Amino acid sequence: MSEHDLTFDAMGSHVRLLIGEPGPEMAPASEAAERARRFIFEFDAALSRFKLDSELCALNEDPRERVPASPLLRRAVKAGLAAADRSGGLVDPTLLREIEGAGYVSSRAGMSGASLEEALAGAPPRKPARPDPEQGWRRFEVDDDAGEVVRPPGLGFDTGGTGKGLAADLLAASLRGYSRFIVDCGGDIRIGGADALVHPYEVFVEHPMTGERAHVVRLGSGGVATSGLNVRLWHGADGRFAHHLLDPASGEPAWTGLVGATALADTAVEAETLSKAALLSGPEGGRELLAERGGFLVHDNGRVELVGTLAAAPRIRLPGNLSLEGAQR
Amino acid sequence: MTDPRRGRRPGPGAVLWGSIALFAALFALLTYQLSIGADPSLSGSTASVTGPVQVRKVIKRRIVTTIVPTPGANSVSTGPATSSSYGASAEPVTTSAS
Repeated sequence: MSEHDLTFDAMGSHVRLLIGEPGPEMAPASEAAERARRFIFEFDAALSRFKLDSELCALNEDPRERVPASPLLRRAVKAGLAAADRSGGLVDPTLLREIEGAGYVSSRAGMSGASLEEALAGAPPRKPARPDPEQGWRRFEVDDDAGEVVRPPGLGFDTGGTGKGLAADLLAASLRGYSRFIVDCGGDIRIGGADALVHPYEVFVEHPMTGERAHVVRLGSGGVATSGLNVRLWHGADGRFAHHLLDPASGEPAWTGLVGATALADTAVEAETLSKAALLSGPEGGRELLAERGGFLVHDNGRVELVGTLAAAPRIRLPGNLSLEGAQR
Repeated sequence: MTDPRRGRRPGPGAVLWGSIALFAALFALLTYQLSIGADPSLSGSTASVTGPVQVRKVIKRRIVTTIVPTPGANSVSTGPATSSSYGASAEPVTTSAS
């Protein structure tokens, strides 16, 4: 069992590819990994809101109502709208002006964030986030026949909520013939390959407060993703702490009683959507959202709560603060 | 009335020595087959050895390559990457907020 392992920085995060043996008449794993790396950089160049020459920025600046868009941009917009629909509007891709207003105007990759403990101490009373009553995301449409994105001019779109998961899923589709693979785009992970079903991968879940590996999940297929407040946390212009997960109803950073959420799902983009929606929903709503496929919630006090299938899976205590969960799927 | 056939049954000594002789004969036959490489337990297998047996020593090999982007070679900016091939994943994959 041999795998090619490629790690690099892209999309403001670390990207890692593990690719097993190729199927008949398929390119060697090293070649597939290099091709995947090029795709990730092209994906980022087209869809980053921090790159002023990206197609996404061009869309957001375009004064027309109907804007010609590449298949990749249309796919990204559809993924963002599907996430909004799946989360009942909590994962809202149209909060571009709000996130910029909160101070997140450029990439924070490599920047040390503010202290999560201090931020929690100074945060307002906890409450679940709610969808924007105006539901601006419903005014976006993708016209594949015309190759256009349709929306009211001035209404911005941010692919940040689903971009990494989408990139992982698109790459997974291209790696389908390999014996096993992992595509890890900054913690949004997609797993596949027939051999992975027999010998599942172990995926560690990082605790957002300690940075330690809190749990291990064994996965043979599908996606897993984590959202948390421990990264992209800063002091706003008003001196208050801010982060990148906004309450769509208020446009302000959401303080819900959770600092992290990890979700399992069929795809990485669905896992990413569920993890964000769970964190925004707070403990009670998050528990309900993750119940079906399983996941973790990390509370403000650092307590880790296993939800759904993971809570029911047999646990083996390991030395230190580590536990091994039963295989999923 | 006594059945006349019962009187012709072999005695216990004959049965014992006959069994030992049969066992010895079969054991000798199997030993001979094994010694010439014709193991009867393998005769049903479809696999056949057509050449000399190769003994392979598995050596765990790890190749680490650093790719440094060539300025101007690509319009897309790419950072350094590390690449390696090995038998089992060395670093576990971790999901965390990003």
